Amino acid sequence: MSRRRLWTAQLEADALAIVVGLAAAHLAFCVLVWLYGESPWAMSRELFVGTWGTPYGAGQVLFKATPLFFTGLAVHVALRAGLFNVGVEGQLAVASLAVGALGAHLPLHVHAVVAWPLLFAVAMGSGALWSLLPAVLRSRFGTHEVITTILMNRLAGVAVNVALGVGLAEAGSVRTPDVVLGAHLPRLSTLFPPLRGSAVSFAAPIAVATVIVVVVLLPRTRYGREAVLVAANPVACAAERIPVGRRLLESLVISGALAGLASLGTVLGYKGYYEQGLGAGAGVTGIAVAMLGRGRIVGMLVAALLFGMLAQGGLVLNAHVPMEVMEVLQAVVVLAVALGDGAVRRQVMEALRSVAVRAEARV
Amino acid sequence: MLAQTLRASVPYVLAAQGGVWSERSGVVNVALEGTMLVGGLVSVAVALTTGSLAAGIAAAALSGALVGLVHVCAVELGRVDGIVSGLAINLAAAGGTRVLLRAWYGSSSNSPSLAGGSSASTGLALLGRALVDPMTLVMLVVVIATPFVLQRTRLGLRVRGCGESPEVLRAAGVSVSRTRAIAVAVGCALAALGGAALALEQRQFQSGMSGGRGFIALAAVVLAGWRPGRATLACAAFAILDAVQVVLQGQARALEGLLQALPYLATLVALVVFVRRQTSGGAPAALGRAERTS
Amino acid sequence: MAVLCAVDVEKRFGSCVAVSGASLRVEPGRIHAVVGENGAGKSTLLRVMAGQLAPDHGHVEIDGKRLAPHTAAEAIARGVGMVAQHFQLIDALTVLENAILGVEPIGAFGVVDVAAAEAKLEGVLKDLGVRLDVRALVRELGVGDRQRLEIARVLYRDAQVVILDEPTAVLTPREATQLYETLHRLADGGRAVVVVTHKLDEVATHARAVTVLRRGRVIASREIGDVPRDEELRRLTQDVMGDAEPAPTRRARPARGEPLLELRDVERKPQLRAISLSVHAGEILGVAGVEGSGQGELVRVLAGLLVPASGRVVAKAAISVLHGDRHAEGLVLDASLQDNLLLGELAHYVRGGLLRASRMEAEASARLARSGAVPRELDLPAQALSGGNQQKLVVERAMSRAAKILVLAHPTRGVDVGAARAIHAKILEAASQGVAILVFGADLDELRALCDRIVVLARGTIVGEVPADADNERIGALMLTEAAS
Repeated sequence: MSRRRLWTAQLEADALAIVVGLAAAHLAFCVLVWLYGESPWAMSRELFVGTWGTPYGAGQVLFKATPLFFTGLAVHVALRAGLFNVGVEGQLAVASLAVGALGAHLPLHVHAVVAWPLLFAVAMGSGALWSLLPAVLRSRFGTHEVITTILMNRLAGVAVNVALGVGLAEAGSVRTPDVVLGAHLPRLSTLFPPLRGSAVSFAAPIAVATVIVVVVLLPRTRYGREAVLVAANPVACAAERIPVGRRLLESLVISGALAGLASLGTVLGYKGYYEQGLGAGAGVTGIAVAMLGRGRIVGMLVAALLFGMLAQGGLVLNAHVPMEVMEVLQAVVVLAVALGDGAVRRQVMEALRSVAVRAEARV
Repeated sequence: MLAQTLRASVPYVLAAQGGVWSERSGVVNVALEGTMLVGGLVSVAVALTTGSLAAGIAAAALSGALVGLVHVCAVELGRVDGIVSGLAINLAAAGGTRVLLRAWYGSSSNSPSLAGGSSASTGLALLGRALVDPMTLVMLVVVIATPFVLQRTRLGLRVRGCGESPEVLRAAGVSVSRTRAIAVAVGCALAALGGAALALEQRQFQSGMSGGRGFIALAAVVLAGWRPGRATLACAAFAILDAVQVVLQGQARALEGLLQALPYLATLVALVVFVRRQTSGGAPAALGRAERTS
Repeated sequence: MAVLCAVDVEKRFGSCVAVSGASLRVEPGRIHAVVGENGAGKSTLLRVMAGQLAPDHGHVEIDGKRLAPHTAAEAIARGVGMVAQHFQLIDALTVLENAILGVEPIGAFGVVDVAAAEAKLEGVLKDLGVRLDVRALVRELGVGDRQRLEIARVLYRDAQVVILDEPTAVLTPREATQLYETLHRLADGGRAVVVVTHKLDEVATHARAVTVLRRGRVIASREIGDVPRDEELRRLTQDVMGDAEPAPTRRARPARGEPLLELRDVERKPQLRAISLSVHAGEILGVAGVEGSGQGELVRVLAGLLVPASGRVVAKAAISVLHGDRHAEGLVLDASLQDNLLLGELAHYVRGGLLRASRMEAEASARLARSGAVPRELDLPAQALSGGNQQKLVVERAMSRAAKILVLAHPTRGVDVGAARAIHAKILEAASQGVAILVFGADLDELRALCDRIVVLARGTIVGEVPADADNERIGALMLTEAAS
């Protein structure tokens, strides 16, 4: 079996899994809609029209998808190393607060060229900071990161609350003051007038670019390759002197940093300030995006757009079908993809095994 | 304070024992949180409909067992990673309970309240109420029964075996899938009962009312080295923290944030302090391990 | 009257035919050996006969009646028990719990009747002539005791046929003798004992019947005892190897170079005590020791993974290590052959923060070609290869690192004869290039064929040194020396 055929086999397997995930999402949607006494066909059509049917709708989908590009990437990076970063919610909340607070306290006439790099760095830094403790606990003590990151999530909720109460918030409100002009990320409608009215900002193309760059570069770095190996067999890696603990630490910290970037679209690109609860849910959905996207650029972009579409669609359909249904839909997609993954992987492995055996027999 | 602690401990302990059951058989269970929500909603819904608390409790246990079966099927048959399945269940439960709340009662945050129950709220009266509560009794039974069953019965031995080395069990002719199914079903039923305890205590179901207890219960299991007796102790410690929160509530605004953070901080600190570095802290050897099919 | 037989059994794994057209009859009251080289299909055939694997063709009969349903549970219930090569014991449970797992006697409410179980187990142990504390955790047992427990488990289930798969692979020569004493006892008591092994001298000494497998087929099945032992041994070797090629002659001992590796009083209690040895350039030093002798720890100390509590390791050149367990420590099975071949060496290929893909591919291809492994696709996952080919990969990797000191633990584990010869040739070649080589193993034949000197490791310390032409008894005796504490 040539290299080319192996590559296409893996591509087919992933594409199949993505299609299965999408199909499962649609099927679940139809079932849930039907349970509410609405027509699946009518609701599907309305969903489509309300999202991709108008430029405004499309813009909104992109807006909702922007943080998901980042959070899906964050979860993916951790997942490659065999780690479940369930703490994206907390990391992005802390980062959002930091960005909102700093953005408000920058010099009034600071130029974007100075403000943006600073704020991006703060976003990444605070996200990374919030994942640091779980990262250390996991790499040095083996404490499972699912528990620690979830605890950090809860802690983030409290911390943000306290911070806002203690002075970061504008007097008399529960949000940070507006960020200075130079910190804003302009809306995409400045470049594409048809998108006027929608909240999508330049954070969206930045997000897409980040996904592409990271997914392409990662396997070309030493860290990137070793992280995957460490996930597969830490004992063998340790035996060959690969720094297992360090790779795990790096993975969670990078994941936290990427999660922090998810604050850009909502804080700098949309509201211009931070209030508690802004951007919530992106962390959880990020898990679904990462699972559905299977580490492929196209997969993750499509997955993020899908969930962005569902989020926007939830608003559109709210009169007929309540928004909570979307959460259930996410869960179904995650499970469907996971189930499909197992089955597909076994098929592929079996095929590869028989090829190897045939080659051996020929010798 | 004692009364508050007792009240608070019931959901933790039940969920933790549920976690022990499931994880000792080798199936990772991060879905305790979601299962608690399901149990809470079902218990209140059934109690409201039938007017019988006992029916509500029984239904909650049953619903928990069903959730557990879904989880174990995904893991054993579908070969899904236990964590992924658990997270999906949590997601589905969070959304699903809100969907059902709205569908059945028109609100996506509260259910109607259950009638009855004493209104004692302090001191000895509260202690009395806590002791007499049926869920407290259930908790005591579970706390005593779990270690006994795990150590001294055939089922318990097989569950422990599955958690250490499923290949050996299989070679001995024992059905690993069936044993795990029972263990996880029992475990999730217990977690659901924990949620029921929580909801019935408040006489209503509120969306998201488990508030992270399921994860803390799991942390308690880890801290306790997966031993039921110690897990109960760990839960008691967390319950004390909860009780402190309740008692000090509204007394010092500045401290409020710290109080809220206390359970989580305490858990994190405990995880750092009590970590046992040899043999991965006493975890069942086969926990979460995907078996090679070759 | 045969108590267990296989009738025309065929078993395939995917498209690989492990066993075909195999028929075998086992009779009570004696030890029946099943021999063949690695990969000949012995374990597979016996696992089918024990009900653990279902045959694709053919069937198994117990006491003349078909085994149906063909499951392990059914076979056990009908008196066939198997002790696997890799012990199936659960460390965290007690001896008693391990013994009764699956056939627990119960009382009311499913509570285990501990008294009855203990009584029965003690009875079995007494019959075996074995002493074990039934309340102890298996974790605390040594290898010999674990094996005795495994046999006791089988007997607890009233097995009339006891099958053992490579039982002496992990035993010292003396322990092996003890084992056979026990097995004779069982056979004399009327049971049927089947031993799967590749150690022909054991067969010639202890077995009354033998069946030979080669490449999944039964090529001979006969009684033993009519001809003198040496003649039998020669016949067996002929049967097993087919047209046996002569073993590669050991090269003449070249002049020893300077010592490249020295260990002085290396200690790491409780596994390693007072280890001192030296290896010279161009020399092959063998370290004979079984599991539990401290081998694993010593290899890890040499690899730099374990730090000795005291003593010094002086290495005048880079050390390259091949660890003993390729599945656990050697390979990342899910990763590609390329990733595995370059495991841990990525630092050499980084330029400007990124990896140089073409250079990596070139080196990996070269190593793959040199290893002789098939197939030659760099992107295949290591899992897709057979055990023998996997071993070729890890050996090549260890030897490709241009290190002047090589530490090889079990270099030919699980590998068929042809591949083992190729690996031996490579080791000899490296030695002739001036590399200092340390070979760890328990296979005394292999060590004698390769090494110039052999030291014996037992209970954590070096108990003696012998020249390569020493015989088994001498080495075996050393292995049992009570080390001075």
